[in-house]
Amino acid sequence: MGKRLLYIFTLFLLPFMAIIGCRDPFEPDVTTTDLNYLVVEGFIEIDAQESILKLSRSIPLRAETRLREESGASITLISENNESWEFVEKEPGTYRLTGTFDPNLTYKINILLSNNQEYESDPMIPKISPPIQNVGFTRNEDGVSIHVSTQGNEDAVYFLWDYEETWLFRPPFPSPFIFNPTTNGIDLRKPEQQIALCWLDNKVNRVLLENAGRFANYSIQKDMVFIPNLSEKLMTRYSFSLRQRALDKDAFDFWEIMRKNTEDIGGIFSPLPSLIRGNINPVNSTNKVAIGYVSMGKSRSERLYINVQEVRPWPVFIPDYLECQLELDTIPPTSSYIEFSGPNFIPVVQVVNSMGAVLGYRGAEARCADCTLRGSNVRPEFWED
Amino acid sequence: MFIQNLGGFVEQRQISLQGDGILDIAIEENVISLSEVVVSSEKMTNISRPEMGVQKLNIQAMKRIPAILGEVDVIRSILTLPGVQTVGEASVGFNVRGGAADQNLILFNHATIYNPSHLFGLFSAFNPDMVESVDLYKAGIPTKYGGRLSSVLDVNAKYGDSEKIRVKGGIGLLTGRLTVEGPIGENTTFIVGGRSTYSDWLLNVLEENTDLNNARASFYDFNFNVSHKINPKNIIRLNSYLSSDNFRFDKDTLFQYQNQNFNLSWVHYFNERLELETVVGRDHYNFGIEGRDNPASSFDLGFDIKQYFLKANFTYALNERHKLNFGASTISYRLQPGFITPLGEESIVVSEEVNHERAMETAFYLGDDFEINDRLSVNYGGRYVVYQYLGPNTERIYEQGQPISSSTLIGERSFGSGETINVYHGPEFRVSGRYILNNVSSVKAGYNTNRQFIHLLTNNAAIAPTDVWKLSDPNIRPQWGDQISIGYYRNLKIDAYEFSLETYHRNMRNLIDFRSGSTLLLNNTIEQDILRTDGRAYGVEVLLRKNIGKLNGWVSYTYSRSLLRTAEEETAEKINDGNWYPNNFDQPHNAVLVGNYEWSKRLSTSINANYSTGRPITLPIAKFNYGGSERVFFSDRNEFRIPDYFRLDFSVNIEGNHKIRKLAHSSWSIGVYNLLGRRNPYSVYFTPVNGILQGYQLSIFAQPIPFITYNFRI
Repeated sequence: MGKRLLYIFTLFLLPFMAIIGCRDPFEPDVTTTDLNYLVVEGFIEIDAQESILKLSRSIPLRAETRLREESGASITLISENNESWEFVEKEPGTYRLTGTFDPNLTYKINILLSNNQEYESDPMIPKISPPIQNVGFTRNEDGVSIHVSTQGNEDAVYFLWDYEETWLFRPPFPSPFIFNPTTNGIDLRKPEQQIALCWLDNKVNRVLLENAGRFANYSIQKDMVFIPNLSEKLMTRYSFSLRQRALDKDAFDFWEIMRKNTEDIGGIFSPLPSLIRGNINPVNSTNKVAIGYVSMGKSRSERLYINVQEVRPWPVFIPDYLECQLELDTIPPTSSYIEFSGPNFIPVVQVVNSMGAVLGYRGAEARCADCTLRGSNVRPEFWED
Repeated sequence: MFIQNLGGFVEQRQISLQGDGILDIAIEENVISLSEVVVSSEKMTNISRPEMGVQKLNIQAMKRIPAILGEVDVIRSILTLPGVQTVGEASVGFNVRGGAADQNLILFNHATIYNPSHLFGLFSAFNPDMVESVDLYKAGIPTKYGGRLSSVLDVNAKYGDSEKIRVKGGIGLLTGRLTVEGPIGENTTFIVGGRSTYSDWLLNVLEENTDLNNARASFYDFNFNVSHKINPKNIIRLNSYLSSDNFRFDKDTLFQYQNQNFNLSWVHYFNERLELETVVGRDHYNFGIEGRDNPASSFDLGFDIKQYFLKANFTYALNERHKLNFGASTISYRLQPGFITPLGEESIVVSEEVNHERAMETAFYLGDDFEINDRLSVNYGGRYVVYQYLGPNTERIYEQGQPISSSTLIGERSFGSGETINVYHGPEFRVSGRYILNNVSSVKAGYNTNRQFIHLLTNNAAIAPTDVWKLSDPNIRPQWGDQISIGYYRNLKIDAYEFSLETYHRNMRNLIDFRSGSTLLLNNTIEQDILRTDGRAYGVEVLLRKNIGKLNGWVSYTYSRSLLRTAEEETAEKINDGNWYPNNFDQPHNAVLVGNYEWSKRLSTSINANYSTGRPITLPIAKFNYGGSERVFFSDRNEFRIPDYFRLDFSVNIEGNHKIRKLAHSSWSIGVYNLLGRRNPYSVYFTPVNGILQGYQLSIFAQPIPFITYNFRI
């Protein structure tokens, strides 16, 4: 019996199989009808900050297009005293307005499209967000997590955040040299030509929402983003700019549906999708519906910088720079034209002999040396060193 | 002189009798083998029983269905029957004739089981060694049962062997189980059984995209049943059941739930014709989540259902033609529909609790099994149900004729403990009849109505463990449903084959659907998020079954539809503009083949093939940019379907040798679930990756899954 039991147990250990829940890419065969719904996104700032409204159209799901702006509309903000302000379209589909508006009034916006279809918002009551208490970060074994703390109040219970991340990065082979097509020689780069240090940014957002009513004294502590180990974001210096808005219950519900419909979907216990509409309605009910919720109020912003020194050690792995190497061959100055005049090969290291005479240059592929291929070498306006 | 003894050889002597004397004669035992006698309670019942829509499966039949992970499974077994479906592979519960999963009354020796599964539906909550048989009533529900709209699943557990102590057990890839049963003295038998996961591992089962390094899942269940015969006229029985599940997908959130059931029954025979069974018991189900994401927002969340019940059920054989069944039952419900409390000292989560709910559901019933003549028999009866929603609680009063919302709330009334807030009452009818056409065929028809006072609030395709239950209150009416069904039954080849064809049509009212963006958890005014919904379901079920012979099994085919429509009087929101839309589990075509072949007494093989139309799904039909990412706009509710489902399972059962003098009798069950490795999608969906929408399909068991189980009995 004892022998048999042993045999049984070894048998069990063998096929300890993996039951794999499997996620495959899938393109369902859905309709290609173009619903062409109007989409309205924006927030109206009451305190002399610029307000931006974006008008666009929905796109068939499988279309290649990313965005279809709605241009040529006239958008008017109207107060309950019938004062009105016009938005100005600066670039296609983006309408701007800067002004100071009385927080004690109700407002609505009116949208007249170039095809004469007219939409109007439900009445909006401005919501003033309390200041952001703190934006901070914690380093743990998996990476860095950035969190916010905020103190809501009876008038500001529901919060929405969005953020922008910007960071500095260096390519694996930063180069101070540039090929000069007029002299066919190699020059040092001028400051505006530098390709060794660039800024990258990320404006992609998850929907970050919180109901302060859940917590004692409306006090919120919430994780915003997580930067995993090896991320290039913390290679040298990283900026996290956070905007906080207070919403009313209906707007919160709209954003919550938006979040559930795209970010919390498809799992076994995920809720079924909900219909999404918002607070923009066609004036003539035969018109098509619009999607979007425009809120009004005073937002608050805060910026956090993290330097690599604060999170060290922080090794970095950038998949784009896989298999980058410095070529072994030294290209003599006479061959510079042949090797370095094209866009794909860049001189990186100067080779000199013991006397100090230049023997030539060793180069690397442009994708490994030129940071402007992924980012921008123009310093953003807000950036502080 | 011939000397004979029963069971012995005949001895023959020639005796010359000359005086008194003693002659000892030894008579050798003679073993005469008779051909097997089989006493069957099921043969012919297909044709002759007056109720329709009733399926009985005994444990032997269930053992022949290849089970995932090698364990005989009650719920997976009934899923092979016509008219029983499920939304997906890892889903809890089942759908009977187009009814929602919360419309099934699941009884385990009188105990109501609120969550009949372990590990998100991978295992059912019933230890196979404890189960004697299951009865599934899809229609023709006896008058003694009530409180659910769609079906009754009555799982009959054992009370132990009356001859000797026996030990049974099994060990599979994930679970081990052990049962001990036997007599204690002459009049008492017991059975005690337990089952548990022995590896805390599993869980690549679920989504791949979650970090599953920290996923854990485990469960156990425990049964203890005793039967004691006080005297020939009185038997008392104790039934107890306990189950517990724990799981987590990441290290921060721990889910757990428990079933606890306990009841005592007393059967008394007044005389040969009158019998009374009285049962008193308590059922308890609770669910909890511990969230430890962040010390400041750590929480404990949960809900809890308790019910106490008392039933008295008489059966009375009035005469040869009438058999009466009557009695009364009452259930007292105590619900805690949801609470959240801070967890740990640093947590600043505000404690919140939805008002506790109490109610009493009382029913009186009478049914008569009336054999009018040899051919025609009817079973008719009714129930009268009285439901009281009780305090302490607050009634919210809304403007008449207006959609229920916070703006139409015009008043509140408080009620003290035990005060009646409102009452719903009404009759339920149960009629079915059978007419025997000839020796081998019959036709049957039936009509029944049901009411349901407790509802599962679920906004998922499958039941999630987080779904809470809600009692009917002044603003949420009880669900009501009726069903009419007709069937034809025929046995072939001296009852070797059973054929049945049943068709049904159901209407349902006051079903629950939800408004866009509703919150179900911790919602004190849930009626403001509910859409009153009508339902209708219809279908045809065909079953051909072969019960005997080396090759046995069944083929079933079901055509069924289940549709919903926002009720006309509901004005808050109309799903799909008030048109009929398919239910989440509307799968029109469903075919199942279960086949066994006995190669020898020791070796048998089984296959199970399962096909169904893909379930309906709401898919995005447009995209747009919003909030820093691509977003989607969805089609009408359930306008699309996921691809069709097909799965083939295979298993081999090997019995140990049949030597009598052996310590343990053992058997092996080896097989493969999803033999073809087909990636049956559970869901398809779109989600943005770096701001760009990507389409995905999620399959749960996307590859062949081998299993092996060792069973023994001593």
